[in-house]
Amino acid sequence: MRMMRRFAAALAALSAGACNLDLQNPNQPTEGQVTTSVAGVIALATGLQARFAESYGNFGYMAGLVNDEFASTSAALISISDAEQGSVAPGTAIADNVFNSIYRTVRTANDLLAGSVALQGELDAGTRSGLRALAFALKAEALGEALQSYQQLPINTIVTAPSYVPRAEALPYVRALLDSAAAEIAATAPSAFFNSTILTPGVSLPNVIHLLRARYARIAGDNATALSASNLVARTGTAALSALTYPAPAVNFYANVTGGTNGIAVRRQWRLSMAAGDQRFNYFVIPSTTLTGRVAALLDPWNRYANPQSPLPVYFPDEALLIKSEALANLGDLPQSQAVLDSVRTDCTGGRGLDDPKACLPPIAGALTLPEMIAEIYSQRRYELLGTGLRWEDSRRRNLIRGPVATPGVPADGQRCWLPYAVGDRNANPNVPPNPTEPATFPSGCTY
Amino acid sequence: MTLTFARRGALVLALALLAPASLAGQTQTGTIRGRITDPAAAGRGLPDVQVLVTDTRIGTVTDANGNYSLSGVPIGTRVLSVRRIGYQPTTQRVTVVAGEATTADVALNVSAVNLSEVVVTGTGTATEKRKVGTSIATVDSALISRAQALTVDQAMQGKIPGAQITQNSGGPGGGGISVRLRGTNSFISGSDPLYIVDGVIVDNGSAQLADLGTRSNPQNRLADINPSDIERIEIIRGAAAAALYGSRANNGVVQIFTKRGSIGKPRFTLNTRYSTSELREQQPFNFYPFDAAGLPIARFNYQNDIFDRANGIEQNLTVEGGSDQTRYFISGNFSNEDGILATTSSRRTGARANIQQRLSSRLVANITSNYITTNNQLQAFGEQNDYGIMGSLFFAPTSVNFAPVNGVYPLPPALGTNPLLAIARIRNPQTIDRFIGSAKLTWTPLSRLLVDYMIGIDNASFEQRQFIPRSAVLGTAPLATGRSQSVFQGTRVVNQDGVTSYEWAPMGSIEMRTTAGFNHTAQRVRLTQASANGLAPVGQLVSAGSVFSAAQTDIELRTLGFYGQQEVAWNDRLFLSGAVRYDASSTFAPSERWQAFPKLSASFVAIADRPGMLNSLRLRSALGWAGSQPGLLNAYSQYISYVQVPFAGRPGFVNATDFGNPDLRNERAREWEIGADMGFLGGRVATEATYYDRIVSDLLFFRPLPTSTGFSRQFAPIGTMTNKGLELLVQTRNVDAPRFSWSSTITYAHNKNLVDSLAIQDFQSAGGYPNRIRAGEPVGVFYGSYAARNCATGALLVDSLGRYRRSNQAADMGTAAQRVAISGGTCNDSLNAVIGDPNPKWTGALLNEFTIAKKVRLRALLDGVFGNKIMNLSTRAQNAGIASNSKEYERELLPYGDPRKLPPTFNSRTQGIFEYWIEDGTFVKLRELSASYTLDAPGLRRYFREGVDLTLSGRNLYVWTDYSGYDPEINLFGTNAGGLQSVQTTAADRGFDFGGYPIPRVWSLSARFTF
Repeated sequence: MRMMRRFAAALAALSAGACNLDLQNPNQPTEGQVTTSVAGVIALATGLQARFAESYGNFGYMAGLVNDEFASTSAALISISDAEQGSVAPGTAIADNVFNSIYRTVRTANDLLAGSVALQGELDAGTRSGLRALAFALKAEALGEALQSYQQLPINTIVTAPSYVPRAEALPYVRALLDSAAAEIAATAPSAFFNSTILTPGVSLPNVIHLLRARYARIAGDNATALSASNLVARTGTAALSALTYPAPAVNFYANVTGGTNGIAVRRQWRLSMAAGDQRFNYFVIPSTTLTGRVAALLDPWNRYANPQSPLPVYFPDEALLIKSEALANLGDLPQSQAVLDSVRTDCTGGRGLDDPKACLPPIAGALTLPEMIAEIYSQRRYELLGTGLRWEDSRRRNLIRGPVATPGVPADGQRCWLPYAVGDRNANPNVPPNPTEPATFPSGCTY
Repeated sequence: MTLTFARRGALVLALALLAPASLAGQTQTGTIRGRITDPAAAGRGLPDVQVLVTDTRIGTVTDANGNYSLSGVPIGTRVLSVRRIGYQPTTQRVTVVAGEATTADVALNVSAVNLSEVVVTGTGTATEKRKVGTSIATVDSALISRAQALTVDQAMQGKIPGAQITQNSGGPGGGGISVRLRGTNSFISGSDPLYIVDGVIVDNGSAQLADLGTRSNPQNRLADINPSDIERIEIIRGAAAAALYGSRANNGVVQIFTKRGSIGKPRFTLNTRYSTSELREQQPFNFYPFDAAGLPIARFNYQNDIFDRANGIEQNLTVEGGSDQTRYFISGNFSNEDGILATTSSRRTGARANIQQRLSSRLVANITSNYITTNNQLQAFGEQNDYGIMGSLFFAPTSVNFAPVNGVYPLPPALGTNPLLAIARIRNPQTIDRFIGSAKLTWTPLSRLLVDYMIGIDNASFEQRQFIPRSAVLGTAPLATGRSQSVFQGTRVVNQDGVTSYEWAPMGSIEMRTTAGFNHTAQRVRLTQASANGLAPVGQLVSAGSVFSAAQTDIELRTLGFYGQQEVAWNDRLFLSGAVRYDASSTFAPSERWQAFPKLSASFVAIADRPGMLNSLRLRSALGWAGSQPGLLNAYSQYISYVQVPFAGRPGFVNATDFGNPDLRNERAREWEIGADMGFLGGRVATEATYYDRIVSDLLFFRPLPTSTGFSRQFAPIGTMTNKGLELLVQTRNVDAPRFSWSSTITYAHNKNLVDSLAIQDFQSAGGYPNRIRAGEPVGVFYGSYAARNCATGALLVDSLGRYRRSNQAADMGTAAQRVAISGGTCNDSLNAVIGDPNPKWTGALLNEFTIAKKVRLRALLDGVFGNKIMNLSTRAQNAGIASNSKEYERELLPYGDPRKLPPTFNSRTQGIFEYWIEDGTFVKLRELSASYTLDAPGLRRYFREGVDLTLSGRNLYVWTDYSGYDPEINLFGTNAGGLQSVQTTAADRGFDFGGYPIPRVWSLSARFTF
């Protein structure tokens, strides 16, 4: 009987434990566990960089398709071959991935900023400034990619139904975020702890911030800031090349979208349209005479990103020079502008010691006029900045949106002004504006 | 291989040891004799009546005058069971005295409807069918064994009105089967009912732990249960009947009871079966000997290499016996079946021991234990375009020569792999080791009081490996460097049930039964995955890799419920019951956790056992509520969580884009049913008819959130859905002559499903696929682009090249104004439309059984599904430019002038018209056809007391259908809501043919020996 009683007691104890219905999720941390601890907030900074890499890749991939850089390989989905011909239907991954991934990056940047405030007392000043500068900078670039893809965009997203604002409102906001980033690191230099264990190895945060300040100053037409900021970007040394790294099993974004149903490759025309002697194709592609795409576009396969572990530059160092050259030209200093431009043209093996595209072209003969200079700058940007998505804004700025080009036609410049808004937002957010109307005649500029 | 034999040897040895010789020394016996009569026929003696002593194997059949005699009956109080087709079965208590003959005469009443059949229902206590207000279908062991099926769900096909049992794939070992009772009742929780084997809630997951084709379902885990161990299956179709299972009962309940053993000397039964399967018919491909430029070209038919005739064997050995104190049933089972897709196979080895022991006069213990090990060799199919065999077949041009050159297999030009390479080198083995067992104590302290406690466990370890060698897929992605994976999943379901019931008679002809009980279920699933890329040239294990990744998942779900039930019986004619279950699940938010599920039912036996035209009539009705819980993938949806995203080799966190729902509550179904059971024509016809009306509210799915917030969706209640339908069962005894009998069973079920309301926009139930959930339409309708038509004539519009115009393409239809002009009206104004309904209008089956001279039994089961649509994306893949291997594509290559010639790019245009790929999925299958013969020559009887039964049978022998694909029954989307490692599927996704595993035609020959 005593045995029975003991057995019953043991059973009762066991059942009481088993009857607990409040089970925690061992697979994923909760909001509280992440946002209220230093270790959690530091992990958010890594998560932010991962999300940034994704949204940056999505932007460059999509923009390359609707401009004249990329086309689909034979196994690619129909929506990708449609996009390369300038047609992007609402709800397709092409239309939505850019938007959705950008706003995930923004969300994590906001989480990180909130964490840096909540845990102010527990973070040392240098680490805190690094975290905040990183959050400001990557949020700014994410929103900057949004304003280069969508006619209107949300900038305040910490609400249940974000409202959309035009570029006139969004661009100053992006630039202000970048100024905040610059101010953070100017006030307190990021700690060694931040630089060595939080920031992705191979990235120089001050250079990224100044390059982005120059980039958006240029888009805003603020030549003075574009010039001063581009001068702050390092031209030589390891800090001049900021690249995201992909140790296996991680895979470089472009390597990931090269194969299978996402498959894209570089249009052969990009290489064939280069000036004679321009060597930059070697950096990006392997010349082909046979590779054709899903809808018969002629292609060159990737060289740079064929290896899944290739690093992905956050920006190409010569972008700073090209911005500087353009700013100088617009400010009236044509000789200096031409000298800067020549330094890009003549960059050759050895050069500045960076692993970047090298034209190995001769300097420009004779002095260029302002329109010639601007045209040459944009030509150099085309070959120097492949896959960064920047070509789309270059087409808009020069009113060179040329409309959809069906194969076998080969597009030059941008094929459309904007992407349709994300269906994922439209389905749940009453504030999404109607999709913008594309121009009716070409070439055209775009309404902002 | 040695291991296998060793295991089988051990099994036989165990059986021999367990067959207890000690029980053989039976005590004294007596004799029972008497006469069975029909009072309606002036007391005429009834021939061919089965008379059995229950709990023993002693039995006989009456002679032409209705007389019988049973000798060797153990002494004591025994129960005679007397039954004959067309009569109400009955029982009678007899006291047997040692060495004496006791007389027991029994009168049988005409009836085609068996109201005395005992069912267990939801309370765990047995009750007679007449007392239950809902319709409960039963399938007994005879019906199961005659089906000659390898799995339980296969055996149930075509036998239960209101159950749509679909074989989604034709893989070995049963294939992937889904059971849908009374339509689709949930968007996300899968369609499968709750399976309970001997009181143990068992896992019927269909998860594939490695990618064997997204959403493809080679096998569901019910395949581990050996059908020949089964005594009876009860199918509880509706919420009203299942209310006592509370928050998990929305999809109905299938209760399986295994054999218990019977009193007497050990009896051995050996059943041996040999089977052979084949592809029913090949698909036509493009074998046109010229290419698009008109140049001669060689073409290849890879179906000849991919599909093989496949063989299988199955061995079953059982022994049963026992005494009043102890009864046992022990079985061993081995089956090995090859699949028709080359290199696929399924091997199952299992053993069972069921023991019942009387511990005292008032206490009985029942132990069941079942160990199974299943080994599968699989190949990816369905939506797997890197290395899946079916996808590779459909996507490869027939002009590609896949034969290896210098040992190197050439890869296809665009998608998929070389199917010959996959067959030769890609391997996907699975090993499932599973134990299902239960212990139950039944205590009857008073004759009217019953106390029951049971604990059950289903514990399975499931390993899935995958080996894809280097250079077996296209591209440079890591997969091209080879992949080896090992995924281990441990699943454990433990349930405890306690029930107590008390019977009392407060006054006169009123009897009551009061029942109370509890149930606790804990399910835990743990998974670890190791995978490697960059494989060495030799070695198939993960350790052969150079780049590694790993993952781990741990999920637990608990459900606790209490219930009470009050039953009232008046005069054994009117039966009323009311019950409520109070239920809680760990999945739901604490504030919403406890839910009450009530039920009410009434049964009235208006006519019973009356001779003449109308022999019996029972009316019944029930109303009940039930719920359903999210599956494993959504087990923790109540929490707002973050996910790990490593970057540059460092750990990182980001918000999960699925936003947690701190108010998550369960889906809730309310069902009302009304029905009648009738017997006609002097016991020749029995019918059961039921109408039901079910509404499920608070259906869970993903409510979209603005993606600009950085989230995408939230698991939340989003709508309501109804299912209304009619179920009909007709059993007839057409001929009942001494040397020939013929009986038929007809089932019919009609179900009308409707999504009544949605709180969100209509949406694709599986992202990227055309099944759609739309208010005002049946669940899962196909929605997409269509071919534009002339609004006045309805004729298809074609462009100048003779190609159809795609409704959603501006290139084809122009601006809105042009669209109206081209169409001659506004009928093509919407870009997309509902283009088909995958839900059947009705399902039905016809079973005919003939017995000739008591020795030959013939049976044929026709099983049909009517009025459903299928989207044939297999043929769409074939028609795509990169494949161009369909018979229709061939027509594009024909010379101009040929009347069958299609204009160039005709097929590339139809790629964008989803309506074009919709086909009628109506089919009738010759599901089962069998002939059995009992060899009972006296010489044989000396060794095998009951003779030797030989059966020749076939499954899925012939299909009548207009559907052009391999089989109208196959469906890409899975059996169940996805398990771990699976892409989320929903119960709405169906009617989707995309590279499925064809269902084979199976012939088998079996012999059954009893000694």
